[in-house]
Amino acid sequence: MSLRRTFAAALLAAATTLSTMGVAPAQDAQRGAALAEPCAQCHGANGRSQMPDIPSLAGQPADFITIQMILMREGLRQVPAMTQFAVGKSDQDIQDIAAWFATLPPGPPDDRRPLDRALFAAGQALSGPRHCATCHVSDYGGRAQIPRVAAQREDYLLHALTQYRDGLRAGPDTQMNGAVQGLSDADLVALAHYLSHKD
Amino acid sequence: MTIRRNLLGMAALLMAGPAFAQAPAATPAPVPGWAVGRPEGSTLAPHAPRLTVTPLDQVPVSSIRLPQGFQAEVFAHGIPGVRAIAEAPGGTLFAGTRAIGRVYAITRNPDGTTRTRIFAQGLPQPNGLVMIGNSLYIFAVNRVLRYDNVEANLDSPPAPVDLTAAFALPTEQEHGGNHHWKYASLGPDGRIYTNVGVNCNVCDTDRDKFALLVSFRPDGSDRRIEARGVRNSVGFAHHPTTRELWATNHGRDWVGDDNPQDSLLRVRRVGEDFGFPYCLGTWADPQYNRGRACSEFSQPAALLGPHTAVLGMRFYTGTMFPEQYRNQIFIARRGSWNRSRLSGYDVVVAHLDGQGNVTRVEEFLTGFRDDANQRFADRPAEVHVLRDGSLLVSGEQMGAIYRITYRR
Repeated sequence: MSLRRTFAAALLAAATTLSTMGVAPAQDAQRGAALAEPCAQCHGANGRSQMPDIPSLAGQPADFITIQMILMREGLRQVPAMTQFAVGKSDQDIQDIAAWFATLPPGPPDDRRPLDRALFAAGQALSGPRHCATCHVSDYGGRAQIPRVAAQREDYLLHALTQYRDGLRAGPDTQMNGAVQGLSDADLVALAHYLSHKD
Repeated sequence: MTIRRNLLGMAALLMAGPAFAQAPAATPAPVPGWAVGRPEGSTLAPHAPRLTVTPLDQVPVSSIRLPQGFQAEVFAHGIPGVRAIAEAPGGTLFAGTRAIGRVYAITRNPDGTTRTRIFAQGLPQPNGLVMIGNSLYIFAVNRVLRYDNVEANLDSPPAPVDLTAAFALPTEQEHGGNHHWKYASLGPDGRIYTNVGVNCNVCDTDRDKFALLVSFRPDGSDRRIEARGVRNSVGFAHHPTTRELWATNHGRDWVGDDNPQDSLLRVRRVGEDFGFPYCLGTWADPQYNRGRACSEFSQPAALLGPHTAVLGMRFYTGTMFPEQYRNQIFIARRGSWNRSRLSGYDVVVAHLDGQGNVTRVEEFLTGFRDDANQRFADRPAEVHVLRDGSLLVSGEQMGAIYRITYRR
């Protein structure tokens, strides 16, 4: 694993969405690519996960990955499989890894199941009243601390939505807990299918 | 009256205004409390926090603008998410956070520089801090912990005494994830004061349980409602001479850019009612007024701007600043998200007359808000008067504490 800095890569990493001024983009995506080599085992060679319950990271906003890695590092988000990779990681390593995944083109997993039109429509009907696009943006590509959910793995989406609803996970704020509060298992299944087929 | 959240949300769906009439009638699920009143098509969302260390050369101290004679310097940095400050007898400053789950301990080196340690970590939103003697009380989301003899043990904090059950504050689940983080302070009567925010954006809540300022004996007993109808206060202090409790208060979201305003409250008698959710001052809530006359309720001492997110406040009790600031209130305005154009991101001063009436509110620390580009450099979340009379300001976004001094 090469840790050699490539200065041109710093330019690649300028895709920060933090709405603050005067902060130079400190991320180095090329360095992140080297650091992210172990991530491919589960999250996929191109950042598109082919493993059940493991999220795709390709095209995720860098802020989202950074914040989630820090929540795992600090023990505030419990993901046992991630603990060994998050604990002890420096801010710089995390930011570089996040910058790398943000540059990868997003897309669905190879094993995405066929579209179920009725289920898709049920999910779509929930997405309006639940204001999903307000934060995740109309194409569900996410922004800043808010993740891309379009074409994410369906099984992972269901897992994450269930965790938010059941109070087993919170983000840096509790907007998602409120957003899915009171939804039934069937509602979450429909939402997960709908989002997994947004391209 | 206890209203189950599911029923509440369903009621909101049926009773709310035109925006919700457009929701598909087939939707079986209730509208979550935080989204009540949210217009279709809005793309407003909270700003991303920064949980990484900001290098010193990127801490935006040079952006700060102050009245003539005042200077700003970086007091401490490399402390992501820093918010509430409590000072120990030996001068150690403890600082709370929300998203990153840490409490920092900040000490001064002989050369005037500071050293920061992570005193506690992995806690859910440990924002409320109180020092009583040498004991530090940490109010996290619903956890109340007391660490004894803290200044002698900064490198190896003692195991805390868990007072969560004694305080019996509403749980995270009861709050439904809404306004459950705490601010806390020590009153002149030796009691601990804290907030219980409302369990929604706006709703017909249990007004004996939520939207309160409450006080306790330090062991968690003898809960007393100090003020009700206070939507969420994340900063308060007692007046140094009148001993009255003053508090900042956040207004609800989703009634447009200019309503309602965040406010400064003066609690003149125990149990006073400031009107949430029915009214804020003379402003009647368009959805939750329930026919109540706003004149029934206590009026705020001052309005502090729409969605400005007023947080920490302190009376200036030092002598370094000019006489005109003595016993006046410095207030951190963290800055808006629920507004099309940014507001706040500054520190203001509420000036009081001899009767304790607010005569004017003026800007003190500005320069973080960039109106032309709609960006911000930092978010003031707390103020604290040091013993030398200088004023500390927590910058939550950049993980720095600024120190404001005055020279003639």
